[in-house]
Amino acid sequence: MSSRKVKLLAIVGVMVVGTVAAESHKEYRFNVGSKARISVNNPYGSISVKAAVGNVVVVNAVLYSDKVEVDNTQTGNHLEVQSHLLAGADADSGRVDYELLVPADASLTLHSSTGPLHAEKLHGDMTLEGAAAAVDIRDVSDAHVHVKTLNGSVMLKNVQNESVEVDSLSGPVTLDQVTGPLVQVISTSGRITYAGDFGNSGEYRLTSHSGDIEAVVPESTSADVSARSVRGEVHDDIPLQPKTHTWFPTEEGKAFMGTMGRASVSSTVVLRSFSGKIHLSKRSAKSQ
Amino acid sequence: MTCIELQESLADVELGTGPEQQIHLKTCPECAALVRELNAIICSAAELREADEPSPRVWNCIQIVLREEGLIHPPRPRRSLLPSFDAPWGWTRWLAPVAAALLIAVGAYVYQHAPAQVATNVEPVINGVSSDASIAGLNDADLLQEAAKQTPAMKAEFEEDLRRVNQYIHDARDVVAANPNDEEAHRSLLEAYQEKAMLFDLAMDRSLP
Repeated sequence: MSSRKVKLLAIVGVMVVGTVAAESHKEYRFNVGSKARISVNNPYGSISVKAAVGNVVVVNAVLYSDKVEVDNTQTGNHLEVQSHLLAGADADSGRVDYELLVPADASLTLHSSTGPLHAEKLHGDMTLEGAAAAVDIRDVSDAHVHVKTLNGSVMLKNVQNESVEVDSLSGPVTLDQVTGPLVQVISTSGRITYAGDFGNSGEYRLTSHSGDIEAVVPESTSADVSARSVRGEVHDDIPLQPKTHTWFPTEEGKAFMGTMGRASVSSTVVLRSFSGKIHLSKRSAKSQ
Repeated sequence: MTCIELQESLADVELGTGPEQQIHLKTCPECAALVRELNAIICSAAELREADEPSPRVWNCIQIVLREEGLIHPPRPRRSLLPSFDAPWGWTRWLAPVAAALLIAVGAYVYQHAPAQVATNVEPVINGVSSDASIAGLNDADLLQEAAKQTPAMKAEFEEDLRRVNQYIHDARDVVAANPNDEEAHRSLLEAYQEKAMLFDLAMDRSLP
């Protein structure tokens, strides 16, 4: 090995060691009661929350420099975790990655500008927000989910019997097997994709200004559907029973309205866009 | 001195030590008994206070319980989640929540009241929602100024987001104007305002330094 390669390896080694040395790991444990409230405010970095057994909260934090600290405050059943940026901290040196284990019934408020934000196997109310934070929520039920992001992608998978509100400016939003009394997505330019059966009796409102809306439903779906795009196109591959009364003109290719499946157990679905395309299609047998 | 006068005087003069009190007490066994009982209570109370004064540890425990109940809060030297007015440009971070509340209020007002008004006179309502800056007490320049503090990439994102959301509001207004009785159109306008409010809220991120 040439001396130049040795020097190069040495430099890389020093850099790796230096990076590892700058990182620090901290773990905190808190006893809480049932339905605890947990807030994590992390300007830079990820937050991942999973369900734990028992009434204990475990916070694992990886700090990427000494320009950031972790502050914890427990007041009764309310736990606040905050990344405290010190002077000179930026998106790199102020980064903290969190992994939390919480009781499944805990309610969450997670905030990170950069994200990503992740929650799974919980059934407490949750609010996840961040400007560029990608949001991923899986296997949650029986609560209220509220997501706010500007540019981050949003993925909700197997979210059952939840009230879901997603506000996204330009990030893509994907709902896979999401049902609840109210499922609402508002996006300015992001694409909205829904895959599922729209539940039994909920209200589903997917709205985008310029993003496309794609809904893929199984054949067994029962829903009252209305779709309208002011300047875009609307397509449906599913035969709908037309409504006798419509409250807007259903111009071919611009809007449609009708019932699929059994009207008696149907949900209400509203798909609306200004300039995006709307497409309602049946899930292919292969993917079912 | 009568019995009533003596009882009234007990509050002002040390129990039974005044000359007139002494004369009355010598002749009135009932008042004498009363004064003896009062003196006994006073002496016992003083002893009780010395014997049963809780230790500092007890007060600490009470304080901890009150904190756990959320009735009192410890002093918090760390940064507050709320924006500080003391920090440079700290006041600007209040713009987002204030603007959000105002925009949603305006949107809700338009959503609820516009159809009837627009049916008779479209322009005033459309003009009314157009100047959201004057209504909400903010303008796009504030957002851009805040975005300028971010990285160039983030700044560009915010500018693009602002352009998109303004276009959304513009289009929503057009549809309301064209279909003043369309409830969904009004709802869209409200949602467009919500999007702008969210943009201001997240762009002026209260968690950032």
